[in-house]
Amino acid sequence: MLDRLNETLDYHALNAMLNLYDADGNIRFEADRMAARQYFLQHVNQNTVFFHSLTEKLGYLVDEGYYEAEVLAQYEQSFLQKIWDAAFAKKFRFPTFLGAFKYYTSYTLKTRDGKRFLERYEDRVVMVALALARGDEGLAMSFMEEILSGRFQPATPTFLNAGKKSRGELISCFLLRIEDNMESIGRAINSSLQLSKRGGGVALMLTNIREAGAPIKGIENQSSGVIPVMKLLEDSFSYANQLGARQGAGAVYLNAHHPDILKFLDTKRENADEKIRIKTLSLGVVIPDVTFELAKRNEPMYLFSPHDVQKVYGVPFSEISVTEKYEEMVEDKRIRKTKINARAFFQTLAEIQFESGYPYIMFEDTVNQMNPVDGRITMSNLCSEILQVAEASEFNDDLSYSKLGTDISCNLGSLNIAKTMDGPDFGASIETAIRALTAVSEMSAIDSVPSIRRGNDESRAIGLGQMNLHGYLAREHVHYGSDEGVEFTSVYFAAVAYHALRASCAMAREKGMTFKGFEKSKYADGSFFEKYVTRDWLPQSETVTKLFDGISLPTRADWEQLKADVMAHGLYNRNLQAVPPTGSISYINNSTSSIHPIVSKIEIRKEGKIGRVYYPAAFMNNENLEYYRDAYEIGPEKLIDTYAAATEHVDQGLSLTLFFPAEATTRDINRAQIYAWKKGIKTIYYVRLRQTALEGTEVQGCVSCTL
Amino acid sequence: MKDTVTSPAVPRAINWNRLQDEKDLEVWNRLTVNFWLPEKVPLSNDVQSWATLTDAEKQLTIRVFTGLTLLDTIQNSVGAPAMMPDAQTPHEESVLTNIAFMEAVHARSYSSIFSTLCSTREVDEAFRWSDENPHLQAKARAVLETYAAGADPLKRKIASVFLESFLFYSGFYLPMYWSSRAKLTNTADLIRLIIRDEAVHGYYIGYKFQRALERESEERKAELKDYAFSLLFELYDIEARYTEELYDGIGLSEEVKAFLHYNANKALQNLGFEALFPPEAAEVNPAIMAALSPDSENHDFFSGSGSSYVIGKAVATEDEDWDF
Repeated sequence: MLDRLNETLDYHALNAMLNLYDADGNIRFEADRMAARQYFLQHVNQNTVFFHSLTEKLGYLVDEGYYEAEVLAQYEQSFLQKIWDAAFAKKFRFPTFLGAFKYYTSYTLKTRDGKRFLERYEDRVVMVALALARGDEGLAMSFMEEILSGRFQPATPTFLNAGKKSRGELISCFLLRIEDNMESIGRAINSSLQLSKRGGGVALMLTNIREAGAPIKGIENQSSGVIPVMKLLEDSFSYANQLGARQGAGAVYLNAHHPDILKFLDTKRENADEKIRIKTLSLGVVIPDVTFELAKRNEPMYLFSPHDVQKVYGVPFSEISVTEKYEEMVEDKRIRKTKINARAFFQTLAEIQFESGYPYIMFEDTVNQMNPVDGRITMSNLCSEILQVAEASEFNDDLSYSKLGTDISCNLGSLNIAKTMDGPDFGASIETAIRALTAVSEMSAIDSVPSIRRGNDESRAIGLGQMNLHGYLAREHVHYGSDEGVEFTSVYFAAVAYHALRASCAMAREKGMTFKGFEKSKYADGSFFEKYVTRDWLPQSETVTKLFDGISLPTRADWEQLKADVMAHGLYNRNLQAVPPTGSISYINNSTSSIHPIVSKIEIRKEGKIGRVYYPAAFMNNENLEYYRDAYEIGPEKLIDTYAAATEHVDQGLSLTLFFPAEATTRDINRAQIYAWKKGIKTIYYVRLRQTALEGTEVQGCVSCTL
Repeated sequence: MKDTVTSPAVPRAINWNRLQDEKDLEVWNRLTVNFWLPEKVPLSNDVQSWATLTDAEKQLTIRVFTGLTLLDTIQNSVGAPAMMPDAQTPHEESVLTNIAFMEAVHARSYSSIFSTLCSTREVDEAFRWSDENPHLQAKARAVLETYAAGADPLKRKIASVFLESFLFYSGFYLPMYWSSRAKLTNTADLIRLIIRDEAVHGYYIGYKFQRALERESEERKAELKDYAFSLLFELYDIEARYTEELYDGIGLSEEVKAFLHYNANKALQNLGFEALFPPEAAEVNPAIMAALSPDSENHDFFSGSGSSYVIGKAVATEDEDWDF
């Protein structure tokens, strides 16, 4: 049947056959491989601009203004020939249709009319390596090696943009504070436009904005609260996008004890009025421990006017620990407050998550207790994995800064766990990744938003992520979320933390400088290392010991040495790890996303740019299907256990999505949230639901529709 | 005027705790959790994609949607209400009112698409086209005749299933086709929500037809089956011509027809009858087939809203849940 179809079907149809079982009930992996091949034969090869030699190609791309001449000028011609030869000698092939399709539609360099391809995958990888290595030949070679082998994958903005002449920024993510005044709000909108234009998601903190009905200049009932600000932001993000390559995207965070919290959540209701409905802006709620305690005792929770809190304490609402000051603020007559039922609040949260997948949640106190750096974390970002400290700015009437604070940016990149475990040198792979990410930070200077620039200059914060956990475990015949699966996660992340710190310490020594505020961090006084020098983080079971065969893992003595080194020389990066959800890059890299379980054996991926495409889980075949139970089958507890094991060793956050069947209730969601909070999870990203088709209405023979 | 009641029926309050047919509750629950409004889909994200269509493709798309609007309008204002007096249980009536309302939401949705993507002139032109198109009018009339007062209740159900499970699909084909080509993907999300509803509607009405048919004589069963097939032939004939008129221009007619065959078989299956078209003739392009499944789609939240979110069941937490 396939042979006949092969001649008549195009690659989209072949790819779609992945989602339809064959006559014997097998998944048609070969159809997808054929789709990838047909895509090259029918489309890519025919539309790629041909060059006779590398010199001709680079000459053309520089002369025509496609490549940045400065990137290439840092290297000898002979080295360029050498690195390109080495890259093409690796004979890279895309194993899936989606990987190839995604790369050629969204990443590769095209002629200005968008019709012809100017780069192969190898060209893109080499340009990224050359750009990030900034003239260091050895480093360029090892960046190329790590990326092309699939061990390290820079995040989309870096991989898409590096080396191109007209391009957006290399940074993934930005976080901005908004303070309770018009100048700050105006500046935040401007900054959102500027940052969206250059690429990257933007998150904003609304916690400090006074609530609807609060007084302005002492006149009561004047403020409109946070909703109109959200509307303005939503429109700003739809307007600005990065040369059409990525849609502008934004998130807003609000503290659970802000008086507008219920209105904030209602913007995502199915039947919300058009005036207040928020469609494309993402929402996040910051929840302190006290909210859980109140719900436990089934007591009301008080919401506090940020305007009054600021007047009483002299600092913005976000700088107060609500847990710590709760009773005090309840008693304080100067702070106006409203009360709602705490359990009903959690239930509303879950209802909205059912209807929209939002809001994200940040567990404020967990995040701050585990923060090794001096200062307070008040928000997260668009993917809920960035957790860093920021400092408020103050403005003059003309919107210039009277006091320049710091805002947050983060550049990300992820290791493919399977490839890294297979690689020749585990520690070196991590060090190379850390150096590549640091290069992105050093090369970035966002002058349009000075607070972002200052934050980046002072912190050199980066976020090393991980992906393909489920693919790796399944390949090794370990079930996701099993005891061995959780044990592997713990050992792996401890080892990553060790090597990431080691690399950052080495850079501090080389460059003779540390991130600003190092001396006030838990790294400087050594307390951060307490848990690593008082116990082992090594495999216990036979299965996991075998997985790490041939990889040297850090012992307690190694940690002791690292502690001494860090205390003596400092760290170059204020933040090192953050585990993003890895959408697009995991398809190109042939991985399962992040450290999540798969959503389906055959994933249906829909995005504006590529339409509907089908993607098989990494390393899956018709023989090992039992290890590919999906997230809905695995359930929230095992997922949370896995994340908790990783969270322990990650200085920032991890994007954790919860998955439920549509038959679940709000109570099931609440229980999962309570469990996550109890296990020390820092943030929760989306809630996803799957509805099974009513018997008799399902599409026949569909892989993704069967349970 | 004297208060003489011709029908002796006592007005009864509906009791959902006494069910004659469990299916009513099952379908009611499914339809209510599936409730949605077009405002939830960020259609405006398709504006750029819309601009990449040629004028002919734009005209085709608008016409297809006006055709769909007409069918939804019929089902909303005539079809579902006409079946209500035939309902065997009060719960069935309630389900039908839900169906009627959602059909109105569907008809409303096409207008949301229009107002987001097209100019008023283009839309007015397309509505004029739909008023005048002989094939579209013919199929509307064929269905409306069976809905007329005094018509056979079971024939009504047959026509209704054909409308829900067959007639819509020549139109649904196009947005699915666009989305498999990475165009108008948010519009396709919205259409997929409509398909999700129509699949349940066709299934439910077909189910009710089958239950009613069980009680009929052999003779009558044969008559209804004859009627169903001859109506399907008639509708197929119109549909084939309608399809050619719409899709010949972009060379998709044969593919769409295969899709019609598939759905005709599906409609007959809903009625409990055997398939009409052999499997070879009903082999749909896998890209379209796979695009129909709304389940577990993994979308990028920043550019779409997906079709898997539902209104959840709210259950309060208990003390034991807060055990920490």
